[in-house]
Amino acid sequence: MASSAVIKKSDAVVKKRTFHRSPFYQGWKRFKNHKLAVIGMVWVVLFLIAGIIGPYVAPYDYRSGDFLAINQGPSWQHIFGTDNVGHDMFSQILYSVRSALIIAFGATVVSFVIGIILGLWAGLRGGIADMIIMRAVDFMMTLPGFLFALILVILLGRGYTSLILAIGIPGWAGYARLIRSLVLGMRDGEMVEAARALGASQAHIARRYMLPNVIGSMGVALAFGIPGDLTQIAGLSIFGMGLQPPIPSFGNMIAQASDNILGFPWLLYFPAGIFALTLLAFLFVADGLQEAFSPKGGN
Amino acid sequence: MTVAKFVLKRIVQIIITLMLVITVSYIMMYYSPGGFMNSNIMATVLAPLQGQNPVLYHKIMEQFESRYGLNLPLWRQVLKYIWHELTFNFGNSMQNPSLKISDQLKQSLPISSLLALGSVLLSVIIGVPLGIIAALKRNTWIDYVVSSISLAGQAIPAFVLAVIMVLLFGVVFQGILPVTGWGTWKDVILPVICLAAGNIGVVARYMRGSLIETLRLDYIRTAKAKGVKYWPMVFKHGVKNSLTAMITVIGPQFAFTVMGTIWVEQIFAIPGLGQVMQSAFTSFDYPLAITSVFLLGSMIMVINLLVDIVYALIDPRVKL
Repeated sequence: MASSAVIKKSDAVVKKRTFHRSPFYQGWKRFKNHKLAVIGMVWVVLFLIAGIIGPYVAPYDYRSGDFLAINQGPSWQHIFGTDNVGHDMFSQILYSVRSALIIAFGATVVSFVIGIILGLWAGLRGGIADMIIMRAVDFMMTLPGFLFALILVILLGRGYTSLILAIGIPGWAGYARLIRSLVLGMRDGEMVEAARALGASQAHIARRYMLPNVIGSMGVALAFGIPGDLTQIAGLSIFGMGLQPPIPSFGNMIAQASDNILGFPWLLYFPAGIFALTLLAFLFVADGLQEAFSPKGGN
Repeated sequence: MTVAKFVLKRIVQIIITLMLVITVSYIMMYYSPGGFMNSNIMATVLAPLQGQNPVLYHKIMEQFESRYGLNLPLWRQVLKYIWHELTFNFGNSMQNPSLKISDQLKQSLPISSLLALGSVLLSVIIGVPLGIIAALKRNTWIDYVVSSISLAGQAIPAFVLAVIMVLLFGVVFQGILPVTGWGTWKDVILPVICLAAGNIGVVARYMRGSLIETLRLDYIRTAKAKGVKYWPMVFKHGVKNSLTAMITVIGPQFAFTVMGTIWVEQIFAIPGLGQVMQSAFTSFDYPLAITSVFLLGSMIMVINLLVDIVYALIDPRVKL
């Protein structure tokens, strides 16, 4: 499996020499043909922009509720309506986008860093370290990460940093396994052997041959990781263990709205709709990236 | 390796994993700030008492700690929990000291199991045909529609679908299906659909890939050359062989569904394991929390073991 991937990837490198096209350029060309992925990309970019500038353009503060205007439907003052304490839902959503992005990206980075360290260690050292790490990976993979996240939330609390750690720490196993397999496939691969035979330095091999070949797979794994982490954050809130309530989050809004859904359904439309579309967009992008950059993705 | 030896080895593995899970989760809960006596419910009762009658307060705390073994050293507490859980002697919860955990679970566990198994079953019933259609109509609009729908089902988590369902059947189509509670067979339908949606996508995508790969194999070409008609070829030679590989997805899917169950139960107000877990975790009820983690873990691992056994039994190429 891994070795065939290497051979196919090495073909790509040969093409790069002959046609002066980087694998990224080729991947981008394939990605552009994937319409859903491009639409998803647009939404993701909008979401990122909303997360960055959201708190500055939000018409109302997330903390201050207008008690004279509770449970209102969408209107010109409150385009997404207001909730049961008079919070402006549009502002709530803008702040939620930021909190969701901070935690999802933070948690993905935490998982990825732990995964990369342990995966590299297992792949490069081999032997007993490899065995212990892979046992730990098996252990983590048997049980859902959400279970570990729940217990970690109890230990760490419900702030930003604790949630990043609680969701990030249990997620390392998948990345570690991927990176280990990439390293193993690469270390003994023909391409690296050939480069070594030609007298290339270790750093040159790593930069010129190893990195371009693993970066695609890792990008795809990361792209799939972010929507997964977004789901977990909201899931923790549904469970009553997400971000501490005054800070808005999609999970809290969805959980709250589902409590009085029969009276005020618009409280649900926007948070649940935007959240669902965002997850979908991230997944389309990840899917597009996979088709564009994974070894099997070529047309 | 014989089947018996394989099963024995796996059971030992499961027990070791469960011991690790109990140890890790207990140690984490032990070091967590706050505890049952500091949680919201108890604090309102005990905080005034601490000022008014310190002697009584300490007596109550001492009694509480000795009752749940909290005054023992940590390693003995861990060992005690491991022993009690593995012998299915769950003891009493902290929230309802008079109620045995096993009695509490007798009501909730079957509900969650029914939801999880039902949704896995439904996802196979719907996902497999969808996957077959997508594979046969590969790269046509049917394939794209099926792929997009299954991706959407995968992307949108069960709890978002659940609130959408509550909205649909609670507001728009009022009175067709109940949206809260538990009791009649009708209550099963909506949660199971929400839970199955994600799995349908996974099953359909996997089936599509598996069937496409199978149809490329040499023996299919041989069958074609021998003049086997199209549909018999697809079903008898293709689908039958790619179905066996499908069984391997069910294990991970079940784990995924079990986690979805505890979310969906919150939304539909179903008194299953999810509700038990939620009250246990939010009020630091250690015995109940550890027991629910233990049960979830063992459920998932036992299903995985069963899947592996069934896979080996029906596919002679697989060796245990």
